[in-house]
Amino acid sequence: MGADHRAFLEATLPHLDVVYQVARRAAGDGQDPEDLVQETYLRAYAAFGSYRGGNTRAWLAAICLNAARSTARRRRRRPWEVPIRVPLDTLPVAGTGGGRYSADVADVVIAGLDAQAVSRCLALLPEPQRVCIVLMDVAGYTARETAEVLGCPRGTVLARVHRGRRRLAQLLAEAGVTHGQP
Amino acid sequence: MDSHDRDHLLLTAFLAGELHPADARRWDEHLLACEQCWLAVREDRAGRQAAQVLRQPAPPALADRVRFAVELAAADTLARERPRHGVRLRWRWLAGAGALASAVAVTVALLLPGGREATSMPAAVAAVARYAETVPARQQEAGPGRPAAPVEVGRPVTVAAGGQRMVLRVWRLGRVEAVVAVSAQPFPMPARGVTGRGMAWTARLGKIGLYCRNGHTSELVAAPVPADQLAALAARLPPA
Repeated sequence: MGADHRAFLEATLPHLDVVYQVARRAAGDGQDPEDLVQETYLRAYAAFGSYRGGNTRAWLAAICLNAARSTARRRRRRPWEVPIRVPLDTLPVAGTGGGRYSADVADVVIAGLDAQAVSRCLALLPEPQRVCIVLMDVAGYTARETAEVLGCPRGTVLARVHRGRRRLAQLLAEAGVTHGQP
Repeated sequence: MDSHDRDHLLLTAFLAGELHPADARRWDEHLLACEQCWLAVREDRAGRQAAQVLRQPAPPALADRVRFAVELAAADTLARERPRHGVRLRWRWLAGAGALASAVAVTVALLLPGGREATSMPAAVAAVARYAETVPARQQEAGPGRPAAPVEVGRPVTVAAGGQRMVLRVWRLGRVEAVVAVSAQPFPMPARGVTGRGMAWTARLGKIGLYCRNGHTSELVAAPVPADQLAALAARLPPA
């Protein structure tokens, strides 16, 4: 008989929100994040009988990323690739009215946060940095959990997320400074 | 390790919130003097804050959808395993006492019709029937004199079964609760289905009657009522 689905749901449904955060960013072009969440839970349920416990939400995130990758492979498309290069000066980030962007990167970014712009800039980052940012800053995983999901050392995760955050801030600031300039 | 490497380690520890108290003072002094590290800290914080803007709670219906999909998978697993169990029993008895074993096998088959029916049913149709089975029976009667107006129960649930996406709604009509599944793809007619007028068909899975009508979308109504009453029941439901 299959694994007890009640026990499975009890153990995994409290993590639905974080899995959804991962799915929203991991879903490839044309893939519905809610479909990806359902696929994640069905895969997890199928494997629940052999699951030996541990960090359930890290386990779910790893399944979600794998499900996104296999869907993308089926569609012969990688999920984390940027479908269209968006010129940075078209991003709707509030401008600062001049000055070199590097002088006040943080102020520019915080002043004009726009989810769409952040999403586009995030898509421009290299995949390893992007995945770390999604797991840690968007979904709220710790560095240790992220390392477990990705199967890499925790130090690597910290380095990637730091580089990614800095680049993300710079991209947003560049967009903010360029936007509306003559 | 040179001074730059040490500063970098301190920076990483600081950003991870793991700076050792013994290093805190040295780090503060360094941060005041080093423009590069100060910028790194500010950009890291800004990037983290920006990414947090992307947080969005899961849609309220997603938990229902996931729960249903898992329950469906669990029911399918059970349905697949029951016939295998029946076959094992049958062979054991056949080896021991021919005629008696046949009788046992027939009994087992009769006791487990749902599993066999479910496995021969298209996955999308079986999913709707399973959902209808989960709807609790209501005891209240319709008001006297006229049929009760349909009232929607709960929230719509979106599921995918057999590669077909559909939205499931539950409607209460007097004492009957009917599940209505709407999909852009036509629901495949089961092997034992009966074609009706136009492109409609009816079928039965256990105690659940199924009625499908096709237009610009396909609509499958499932309820625990006799098949001949389903068309009339479907006519009382609001258009999809």
